[in-house]
Amino acid sequence: MIAQLTRNERLHAIQIGLVVAVCGLLLGLAGRDDPIGLHGGLIFVAGLLAIFLVGRDYYAPEPSDDRLTRYYDDPSKAGVVLSIAWAVFGLAVGDWVAWQLVNPDLTFGGGWSSFGRIRPVHTTSVIFGFGGNGLIATSLYVLQRTSRARLPDQLAPWFVLLGYNLFCVLAVTGYMMGITQSKEYAEPEWYADIWLVVVWVVYFLIYLRTLARRKEPHIYVSNWYYMAFILVVAILHIVNNLAMPLSFGSAKSYSAFSGVQDAMTQWWYGHNAVAFFLTAGFLGMMYYFLPVQSGRPIFSYRLSIISFWGITFFYMWAGSHHLHYTALPQWVQTLGITFSLMLLVPSWASAGNALLTLNGAWHKVRDDATLRFMMVAAVFYGLTTFEGSFMAIRSVNSLSHYTDWTIGHVHAGALGWVAFITFGSIYASVPWLWNRDGMYSAKLVEAHFWLGLAGTVIYVFAMWNSGIIQGLMWRTYNESGTLAYSFVDSLVAMRPYYVARAVGGLFFLIGACLGAYNIWMTIKNPGLVATQGGGRPEPKLAAQPAE
Amino acid sequence: MSIFGFHYRLERKAISLILGIVLVSSIGGLVEIAPLFTISQTVETAPDMRLYTPLELAGRNIYIREGCYACHSQMIRTLRDEVDRYGPYSLAVESKYDHPMLWGSKRTGPDLARIGEKYSDQWHVAHMINPRDVVPVSVMPAYDWLLANELRTDDLSLHLKAQRKVGVPYTDDMVANAAADAYGQANPDSTQADGLTKRYGKATTVRIFDGQADRLTEMDAMVAYLQVLGRLTTAAGKSMAQTGASQ
Amino acid sequence: MTVEHDFLVGLSKSFGLFYLIALSIAVLIYTFWPSNKRRFDRAAQSILDGEDKPWR
Repeated sequence: MIAQLTRNERLHAIQIGLVVAVCGLLLGLAGRDDPIGLHGGLIFVAGLLAIFLVGRDYYAPEPSDDRLTRYYDDPSKAGVVLSIAWAVFGLAVGDWVAWQLVNPDLTFGGGWSSFGRIRPVHTTSVIFGFGGNGLIATSLYVLQRTSRARLPDQLAPWFVLLGYNLFCVLAVTGYMMGITQSKEYAEPEWYADIWLVVVWVVYFLIYLRTLARRKEPHIYVSNWYYMAFILVVAILHIVNNLAMPLSFGSAKSYSAFSGVQDAMTQWWYGHNAVAFFLTAGFLGMMYYFLPVQSGRPIFSYRLSIISFWGITFFYMWAGSHHLHYTALPQWVQTLGITFSLMLLVPSWASAGNALLTLNGAWHKVRDDATLRFMMVAAVFYGLTTFEGSFMAIRSVNSLSHYTDWTIGHVHAGALGWVAFITFGSIYASVPWLWNRDGMYSAKLVEAHFWLGLAGTVIYVFAMWNSGIIQGLMWRTYNESGTLAYSFVDSLVAMRPYYVARAVGGLFFLIGACLGAYNIWMTIKNPGLVATQGGGRPEPKLAAQPAE
Repeated sequence: MSIFGFHYRLERKAISLILGIVLVSSIGGLVEIAPLFTISQTVETAPDMRLYTPLELAGRNIYIREGCYACHSQMIRTLRDEVDRYGPYSLAVESKYDHPMLWGSKRTGPDLARIGEKYSDQWHVAHMINPRDVVPVSVMPAYDWLLANELRTDDLSLHLKAQRKVGVPYTDDMVANAAADAYGQANPDSTQADGLTKRYGKATTVRIFDGQADRLTEMDAMVAYLQVLGRLTTAAGKSMAQTGASQ
Repeated sequence: MTVEHDFLVGLSKSFGLFYLIALSIAVLIYTFWPSNKRRFDRAAQSILDGEDKPWR
């Protein structure tokens, strides 16, 4: 890793490490008697570690100019490994949390391990750890190939990847210590938020600088999605996290917004985090890896452009459907419904585009579990966006809101769409990245696929049932005009579904563990090295009817 | 020179794509959210609205720290069954001092917007120590350590100051006496208790919330917060009575 | 604040509508502009071509 950096870059790396370490030290000293002190220490150690690692090999020979004739894939490799590691961790925590709703004493008596603190650990680990690392790894991979240009330097991508993971670690450890802003999916406190902004700006600059070196005037559509992901997440993150810290030495801050404004800002953020983090980025992934893996160009490139602008435009208006029947003004709610329904058009255009691309390659879908991951992802994307628009309708929302139906909906998207497209893209790119003929075991990929699919279906059906039962029980009246069920009655009715949900989650977790093992063995096994040497073995498999 | 022209064109394309994304995406949010910042001109007012006391604010921060919002909402919707189950629907004005709001998105447990004074302090303390002692089928975790943890009061002034910076009208007097007021609210017989009611109003609840007279614990703060939920103003009850009369 | 709530709401509702229509038309024109077709076809095909090296 260090040997790939030029002498200048090593110097800059040490300088960055120094700045990080000093910031950590200052935070640690200022917050001696606050939880932020521990995080200061953590940042300090991370900075020192960077200095030590780079310093150790500082005088190693510089890389030759030969490197410029190849893409720079080391950060993508590390990103893939980190992504899978976060997936296993985040899914394990998620399943643990699910079992806590079956048996609440699974906290083992600790404060750090209670439901309210562990739940954000799960959401952050899977969304930002698994999903985010997957996005960074694949985006750098796709960016270079579609631009036919190498990354502008060797240091910036490492800064982004490692800095981003430092943010994830700060977030996750913070929740367990009780550091949280309580804004869903934006829980990390002010100092972690500021750090993420720095990382994000560098990420964006990598994109710009690489695009500036491209050969083709047209920017491939995957990059549009990746760029929308980077840009809009930056806007959302900065606005929603505006807050006033108590002092430099305190982790606690108070949101700049209150009440209705805060609710609207939060769900403008929350909904668009789904749009631009969990949808746009992964669509970018899909628009590259699905055509390449199937060996067929995207069915309609024009349709992909229309859906891009549709998603970029419509999603921003839809956030208020999270706040139906609340103190939010009626016209904002109505606007939210309208745009949620219109969103169906670009969403289904993308899903349909993906499935039509596979038309004529269905035999490959049958034989290749990697491609099947992507196909199922497209199906779940279509289903989930339909469900989402449906749930945004006020009368449906009055039943579904606050219930497990929402949880089921989210997981249909998160497991069926986001995780499946990521696993598919990772299985496609690992042999290409490490120059192998294929994965260590195709059977394990197959097993992962079926475990994942079974887990998702069990999970989603359990939550649909429990959510609808819950919603109906809350609103049922008896003949005398009083509520028929107490809240506790509905809680008792949930139990079998909570068990089923936890079992479904366990299936999904086991699948991910098989995937991690398979990837590890592929990397470690030198016997799998591709024989033709260099490059991606895939296109030769593709019979091009058009040519 | 052709190289320059070539590059110029390439970069211009990337930049215009970026501008397009920013323009297209940000306007939706602006159009929707901007009017909400002037909403104070249209929503109901509540002249009797009081501020959270330092002890209640500390309790609120514990509520946030423990992630209670993950399972409990604080937003009663304008639906008949919700009003029958939880009380008058929530008004915008009721959370105007909530930085951040805790409306929540999921009810694994019941809504808490009007939980204040529905149960006794003793019930809350027992429920926190082990929820299954009072609700046998509850799936809520136990929070018994709240009773063991001393409440940190030395930085309460800083909390009030930060709140004031984001727009909550705490006075200098309130900021200066934050720690004493927290102590006073859980010790009815102390001199600090008088200062508290002077600053926050006669209606402020002053009790030994956790049942331990000699210590100020996190349980005191938590219960004090739960007992004030839905009771900062009487606007919601009045608004319900009016709509009920007009129907 | 001097800006009236009703004014902002009115602006949102009217301007928002025009903005929506104008944007949709602009995107459709761009997408279906005849001379763009060749470029799009090439882009769709480009990711399948050999791309194992940077172009310089």
